[in-house]
Amino acid sequence: MHAWKALSVAALAFAIGVGSANAKQEDITLELVEPLADYKIYVAENTKQLVKDTTAFVAAIKDGDVEKAKSLFGPTRTSYEKIEPIAELFSDLDVSIDARADDYEKAEQDPDFTGFHKIEYVLWEKDTTDGLDEIADKLLADVTDLDKRINDLTFPPEKVVGGAAVLMEEVAATKISGEEDRYSHTDLWDFDANFAGSKKIFILVKPLIVEDDPEFVAKVEENFGDVDETLAKYKTDDGFVSYEELTDEDRTVLSARVNTLAEDLSTLRGKLGLD
Amino acid sequence: MREEKPMKKSQQATPQDETVSANRRQVLLGGIGLAAGTALAPGQAFAKSTEEEAGQGQVAEAPIAGKTVKQRVPFHGEHQAGIVTPRPANGIVASFNVIADDPEDLEALFRELTARIAFLTQGGEVPELNPKLPPADSGILGPVIEPDKLTVTVSLGASLFDKRPWLRELKPKQLIRMAEFPNDALDSEICHGDLALQLCANLQDTCIHALRDIMKNMPEYLVLHWMQEGNVPVVQASAGGEHGTARNFLGFHDGSANPNSTDAKEMDRIVWVTEDNGEPDWAMGGSYQAVRIIRNFVERWDRTPLGEQELIFGRKKDSGAPLDGGKTEFAVPDYAKDPDGKKTPLDSHIRLANPRTAKSQKNLILRRPFNYSNGFTKSGQLDQGLLFIVYQADLMEGFLAVQSRLNGEPLEEYIKPIGGGYFFVLPGARDRDDYLGRTLIEAIRSEPSQQAAEGL
Ligand code: HEM
Repeated sequence: MHAWKALSVAALAFAIGVGSANAKQEDITLELVEPLADYKIYVAENTKQLVKDTTAFVAAIKDGDVEKAKSLFGPTRTSYEKIEPIAELFSDLDVSIDARADDYEKAEQDPDFTGFHKIEYVLWEKDTTDGLDEIADKLLADVTDLDKRINDLTFPPEKVVGGAAVLMEEVAATKISGEEDRYSHTDLWDFDANFAGSKKIFILVKPLIVEDDPEFVAKVEENFGDVDETLAKYKTDDGFVSYEELTDEDRTVLSARVNTLAEDLSTLRGKLGLD
Repeated sequence: MREEKPMKKSQQATPQDETVSANRRQVLLGGIGLAAGTALAPGQAFAKSTEEEAGQGQVAEAPIAGKTVKQRVPFHGEHQAGIVTPRPANGIVASFNVIADDPEDLEALFRELTARIAFLTQGGEVPELNPKLPPADSGILGPVIEPDKLTVTVSLGASLFDKRPWLRELKPKQLIRMAEFPNDALDSEICHGDLALQLCANLQDTCIHALRDIMKNMPEYLVLHWMQEGNVPVVQASAGGEHGTARNFLGFHDGSANPNSTDAKEMDRIVWVTEDNGEPDWAMGGSYQAVRIIRNFVERWDRTPLGEQELIFGRKKDSGAPLDGGKTEFAVPDYAKDPDGKKTPLDSHIRLANPRTAKSQKNLILRRPFNYSNGFTKSGQLDQGLLFIVYQADLMEGFLAVQSRLNGEPLEEYIKPIGGGYFFVLPGARDRDDYLGRTLIEAIRSEPSQQAAEGL
């Protein structure tokens, strides 16, 4: 039994005290300067990696090397998944890079369906790279554009801090069901990256809340720890096993942790006095 | 604040419009010939009062609830509410997977769940939080929660016990995983579960609010596995006070021959686990709950001759009276006088379900179902059915025995059980200091193996 479990959500929220957040607002923007700068570096590193990995992925596709392209699909996506809350700020790119078939009326057959998941569909369902050249080129152009645009972006603090919860919402809404990577079943890669991205944000702002709210911090860390432990069971030398191998019990545990993290991290902005 | 707008003339339904459309329908009916002679012109009998009341106000004004939102079902008691409580119009069964690694976790779950249910069913103000935080409540019922006859009934599935060595020994002795009957086509995505909540209220929004509240407050313990909403058609109050049972989606009164739920002695025998049942001590005052999601093939049913429909059930469709006589649904059939089933066929639903012999007395069960409507199927047929919920002290003599007798009944051509599960309803929380599941937690603690594990 974990001590935090006895603490009700309402009690936690009251503990901050209505009003105190306002007074905090100014100090907090100052205090956030450093975590935000660190986060910007984290994002920049990831988009750089994304461009690099996508270049290799696209090369494999254009070489017609189906097996190699398949093996690069999961790992290439991870740097995108880690920084999704920021990447999503450019909604035009997010759509062309990461939209899923069900975002389109005609699903897989829709002419507008492009990006990672279109490539995933052709690689796994058709077992070919035929017809993918143009889509692969577009993907590389899009992630390169993303890298550039993100470097020019001033990060809105509430988007960054809120991003910790947004990543959990993503997992809770579509990843836990295995819908995201439905052809390749590489969902665990995405999962792991989403958690890493969320945890990164939490750790950066943790020094600002740990004193006022040690129990909250302990609870969140414990839940991240449980997730790591569960995912560790499915690690292989170079990544993760197929999502289909996840047992029902582990899926339930992950669901509970994700939902709890989503609830708790949804208070992070408020705890920091951000709007 | 919104200004109160005086009603404009144009917003009232004009009487002429109504007459025109009424005439039109009469013409249409007249064309069919057969129906027109006996049919009331639409609106003729009821028009006056309803049109006046229905015509007022702004389009988006909230519909007005009756005084029933104030109805409050006591939470504390020997038994949980929601079983012998008169069934309100709406209900949900939600089944969860439970995360609880040890008795402490399970106790914390039960305590938190008890606190949520006590608040939700008794009503009160929603706490106000710092506006920079997500609000404490979904807000769908506004800042004050009215009780609205809400009950939330907690029950446990076999898997909760089976998966945990420290619980296994304490499983109620008849609690099993639901197995497939011959006519079933079970879908594992809507079957079984560790813990079920039956939420019932006058309004479906009240049930939904309660479900969202519990899920929001308890994500670390409960992961939703499946759920099914249902409702029953409401009727006008009758002058005599007794207005009969609601109808199911096959158009028949459902619940007519239920045991008398206001007779405490009868309920002790049929519904509540007592010392006579040989169950573990902690289970006294609980009950077995069988939930079945049973699809109805309504299009096909509606194309079946009335006489055949009535023979399938053994009751008249309009009155609900048994086929061997009587005016109302509460008349009692006398099968001894009809041994060959000339009036009530031997394979009719009610005769198989309850042959009314001395021996079948021990198979009585308390049914508390809702109808459900889940949209439509790929074939363009309506996806409707019965969210069948039944309570009994003895699952084998109750649901299992009755269903076994029903296997192969003519009704099967029109129904298909697809989901549900068996659960054991926890005894009630007796007072403010008590919590649902306390007797089970105490039993775990006094198990010899558990004491050894804890070094007691
Ligand atoms: C979609 C499925 C079902 C429908 C539409 C249905 C409908 C009905 C109707 C119309 C009646 C007569 C009125 C009444 O006494 O309530 C009835 C009676 C009854 N039904 Fe069902 N029923 C269904 C499934 C079941 C199941 C699964 C069971 C139990 C295994 C069951 C057990 C009974 C019993 C015990 C009675 C009372 C018989 C008596 O005491 O005379 N029913 N049902």
